[in-house]
Amino acid sequence: MTFELHVDVERWRGHLKSAAERLPGLVPVIKGNGYGLGRDRLAAESAALGADTVAVGVYAEVPEALEAFDGDVMVLGPWRPFLDGAAVEQALADPRVVHTVGRVADVAALAERAPGARVVVEGETSMARHGFDRHELAAAVAALGGLEVVGFAAHLPMTGSNLAEAESWAAALEASQLETTTFYVSHLSPGELGQLRERRPGLTVRPRVGTSVWLGDLGALDVRAKVLDVHRISRGERVGYRQRAVTRDGYLLVISGGTSHGVGLEAPRSSAGVVQRGKTLAKGSLEAAGLMLSPFTVDGRQRWFAEPPHMHASQVLLPASATAPAVGDDVRCAVRFTTATFDRIVLD
Amino acid sequence: MSPSPVTVRTITREEHLDFVAGRPSVSFLQTPAWAQVKAEWGSESVGWIDASGQVVGAALVLYRQVPKVRRYLAYLPEGPVLPWVDAGADLGAWLEPLAAHLKAKKAFGIRMGPPVVTRRWHAATVKAAVADPALGTLGEVPADVNDAAALAVADRLQDLGWRRLATEGGFSAGQPQYNFWLPLADADGTPRTEEQVLAGMNQLWRRNIRKAAKAGVDVTLGGRDDLEAFHRVYVETAERDHFTPRPLSYFLTMWDALTGEDPDRMRLYLAHHEGDLVAATTLVRVGTHAWYSYGASTSAKREVRGSNAVQWQMMRDALAAGATVYDLRGITDTLDPDDPHVGLIQFKVGTGGEAVEYLGEWDLPLNRPLYAAFTAYMRRRG
Repeated sequence: MTFELHVDVERWRGHLKSAAERLPGLVPVIKGNGYGLGRDRLAAESAALGADTVAVGVYAEVPEALEAFDGDVMVLGPWRPFLDGAAVEQALADPRVVHTVGRVADVAALAERAPGARVVVEGETSMARHGFDRHELAAAVAALGGLEVVGFAAHLPMTGSNLAEAESWAAALEASQLETTTFYVSHLSPGELGQLRERRPGLTVRPRVGTSVWLGDLGALDVRAKVLDVHRISRGERVGYRQRAVTRDGYLLVISGGTSHGVGLEAPRSSAGVVQRGKTLAKGSLEAAGLMLSPFTVDGRQRWFAEPPHMHASQVLLPASATAPAVGDDVRCAVRFTTATFDRIVLD
Repeated sequence: MSPSPVTVRTITREEHLDFVAGRPSVSFLQTPAWAQVKAEWGSESVGWIDASGQVVGAALVLYRQVPKVRRYLAYLPEGPVLPWVDAGADLGAWLEPLAAHLKAKKAFGIRMGPPVVTRRWHAATVKAAVADPALGTLGEVPADVNDAAALAVADRLQDLGWRRLATEGGFSAGQPQYNFWLPLADADGTPRTEEQVLAGMNQLWRRNIRKAAKAGVDVTLGGRDDLEAFHRVYVETAERDHFTPRPLSYFLTMWDALTGEDPDRMRLYLAHHEGDLVAATTLVRVGTHAWYSYGASTSAKREVRGSNAVQWQMMRDALAAGATVYDLRGITDTLDPDDPHVGLIQFKVGTGGEAVEYLGEWDLPLNRPLYAAFTAYMRRRG
């Protein structure tokens, strides 16, 4: 059983290289499942790109990153006094780790806990996730004690242009008492980053980027699932764990790739327009009937699940009118890379 | 923390003055004398009385009548004087008896300006922000001091049903939300020396002060009779700077009211050069707080810098009188270099002081239909 990711290495690395060139000062973000590619692999690629710093999401990801990467490791999630465990202890003790702080009380607590630790001060942007209100920055500075500020961070939303907000934070940083000129920013296009640099010559702007670097050229990534079995089925025949009756004559395909690979796992989608909402509605009614579109493309089209995916394989319906694949054939699968796990990653 | 008050009642002028005298400072808009200046409004001194009969809080209430109805807006400019921050969750116990008292006096609503400073920006910060095109208003600039406890008062007022009045550019509604202060003492209360104050100013200010001294500008204190001369220059200033001057009678009334309360509460400063009056200003002081209130200068002989000389003399006198704050009063919140108000900020920033933000003005409607009619009427008046 194999559910594999094939990477066109030459093309992928070419994209990584050009992305890094368009994003000077890049801090690659390596978090979660490593965008489906694996965190260790991304750490190695980051080093090859010449990055001096990588960013991880949470403290649990720190030990592995320190192992896989020789430079600095920045933790995107803010340090909080209630965090504990071996990974946090290791991070607090290692001078290569850069912590994020977003609350005055946390700054004071960290200063006491790990004097000399290096921190990035984060501003609360319109994301409203975490960080300081700009008027709290003076209080944050006052609480720093022996902490070393290596930069200021603004995590921006993904919609529309964020240049105005980024610049407002850059100006706030320059007018603040924070003694740093390094500005870490996310979700700005290379063009916007260029404009920001031009308008803020006093700052070193460093983009923190994950998705658009690692998954910026999906054409280099190819997800292949094996056809494990092909059964002829007739209308009314009962199949699967749930013994549901099929509605048409055709084929039942057993394909590698199930919930453990991230197949059939969905996050709420941001439906932009009326058409998208309509599609969601239509899909919703099919889902209500117990049917769901699978991510597998067979004979040129995405096919329906016969029943919810199993842990390692899925049962998929193929109408009689379609050409059935042979056992052992590969079919394409569209995955959400941030939730995907592959049995094997093959560098082609 | 002060004990929770039990009652609010009218207090006499003497009780009110006693209370003011017992505090380091209150706004001059909250002295009984200010009622005499605003004689076209009704007025009342109101006190908060604790269980032992002590006055523990006070307000000067000005009553503004609604046209054709015997109902009033009760206005407490830069007041009331209460332990705002220390009251904590008990703030309602202070404000509810006030509302009941004023309602009985036929008020349809209350407007107040808690004298609570929420944020401060140092001169260097404001200067850097004016120079930065990405920062359009003071609110966008990280404050150098952020008083969380003072800011929490706003949440409590909201919970108690008070509404914050919107300010447009910081100047349109009542008293300005942003003011400029030159501290005359350090945070721990140690008075600054004249040399320290002077050293805090920008080069232009220091140069102009020196220039005036070299040119032989002579700054003297004037009396009531000199207000006429002040007013002549003040009218000239109004024409030059395009604002509507107040009549001489306003300044005479102010003089009589303020000096009647305390002979040193209001001062008139006159700057002469070779016998010519080149600048004149008024200074008001209550306890440790001194306000530069009105200023005027002639168009002729600007090069002798009479206005800097007169400011410097007021600052030194305020310092000598034990003031801890020299208040240059309102600024707008705009930092747009194209806004004409920005020149005023830059002039004040040159003193090396700090911009301070107040909690702003707040309304409590007591009679909703009348309050709604009044606010609509005020909007139409613009």
